[in-house]
Amino acid sequence: MSSTAVREAAVQLVKTLQKFPQERIKHLVSFRDSQLERFKPIAGLETTGTDSTKKPTLSDIKDIINRTSGPLGLQKDLLKKVQEALPQEQFTAQTIEEQNKSLNNIMSNKYKTYYDVGNKLYEPQGNPLYYKRLLDEIEGKTKETFFTALRTVVFGK
Amino acid sequence: KNELESPEELARKSQLTSQPIDYSNNAPVNPKKKRPLLSDSKYESQAYQLPKWKEALGEMVIRIFNLDMDKVRAGPIAGSYYYALCKEQGLQFENEPLSETAKFFYEDLKLPRTFSQWFQITVLHEWILFVRMRAMPFKYGKNYQQKLVDRTFSDIELRLFEEMNVNSGRIADQYLKDFNSQLRGAVFAYDEGFYTDDATLAGAIWRNLFGGRKNIDVVHLEAMVRYVRSQLYVLSKLSDREFALGKFKFVPPDEVVYKLSPSQEAVMKKAVIEKYEAMDRNPDILPSEKSKLSYKN
Repeated sequence: MSSTAVREAAVQLVKTLQKFPQERIKHLVSFRDSQLERFKPIAGLETTGTDSTKKPTLSDIKDIINRTSGPLGLQKDLLKKVQEALPQEQFTAQTIEEQNKSLNNIMSNKYKTYYDVGNKLYEPQGNPLYYKRLLDEIEGKTKETFFTALRTVVFGK
Repeated sequence: KNELESPEELARKSQLTSQPIDYSNNAPVNPKKKRPLLSDSKYESQAYQLPKWKEALGEMVIRIFNLDMDKVRAGPIAGSYYYALCKEQGLQFENEPLSETAKFFYEDLKLPRTFSQWFQITVLHEWILFVRMRAMPFKYGKNYQQKLVDRTFSDIELRLFEEMNVNSGRIADQYLKDFNSQLRGAVFAYDEGFYTDDATLAGAIWRNLFGGRKNIDVVHLEAMVRYVRSQLYVLSKLSDREFALGKFKFVPPDEVVYKLSPSQEAVMKKAVIEKYEAMDRNPDILPSEKSKLSYKN
């Protein structure tokens, strides 16, 4: 039966998706969660899972909205429409396997490894700590203080 | 190595037929009169030839005031040449055939043909250039970034008025503010993805370029990750001098970027060094062609 093949493939895809890393900071939409929601019904699994569909708390939402006036590069008005419209999709086992394969390629860091740009771009000459500071801040390792922020504004780095 | 295909081939391989949700509400780009690619100024039109006396005067001014050409060049290279490059990638007008690159974005990746989608494509390409600009000496790189951003917003403002028929300054300002926050959000998200891993980069591309849509084709997403990383790879092999002189072009999506072998890279570097060494040694070099940026990195 082809429908069992589709389901099997979707189960595999859901397994891969569950391994997809969580975002370091919360955005209004999450790739992992939206795709789990999309493929779980096809895999015959409950969509109201426990861990993946945690509702953002009020402080999460406030945090997202306060970061920028338009939350981090999202097109606000479009986003709502997109999320509301639920597409009717036809999948075959083959198309789902393709999705899974691409997802695995992405998660194995294939392109970052193959197209390695080296420290020339990761520790750029003009501002060697740029990415490190950015990531430390995101991960909460070091917090930018008022003075480091002021320094960045005045001197640009 | 041979299994590698171009981003476009990869995207076309996908059998998934789901149509993207049509959320292209009401804003096709269909101007009565198109704006020139860069500006109305004759100096930026391709056909314009600077009269010899003006050229000589310019060279004299540069020599007398000992102008730092690396700084001056940010305008014509980053603000003009690189902006045009980024702008062209996703440029489209309703009822007009798409360019080869635009076909990749709008047909293969099924992105909606709207103004804000064009902006997202432009921002992605600008960010790719920002990554390289950061690796230039600080004051020059910063200046290049600044000129590129300045130009982006002055052009968008004109496009909104003249091509999108926005006729209220207040509304245009709102759009510009919105585009500005989209730019900052996108650059931040792409930076994080670039430095960490492909999964994060894919997430950033999904949220920004694909508008966070649920029925994304992951094969398309993979194609974009490959596209972005391959452009950055090419940029990482370019010296400051070449990049600052505008010797870079985006690799079209239907072409494959193969990694250079160490010997190929050595040959390439040697040729570049010879070329610019000869140029710097040439006593007849024009003041406007001078540069102190490294051609060895």
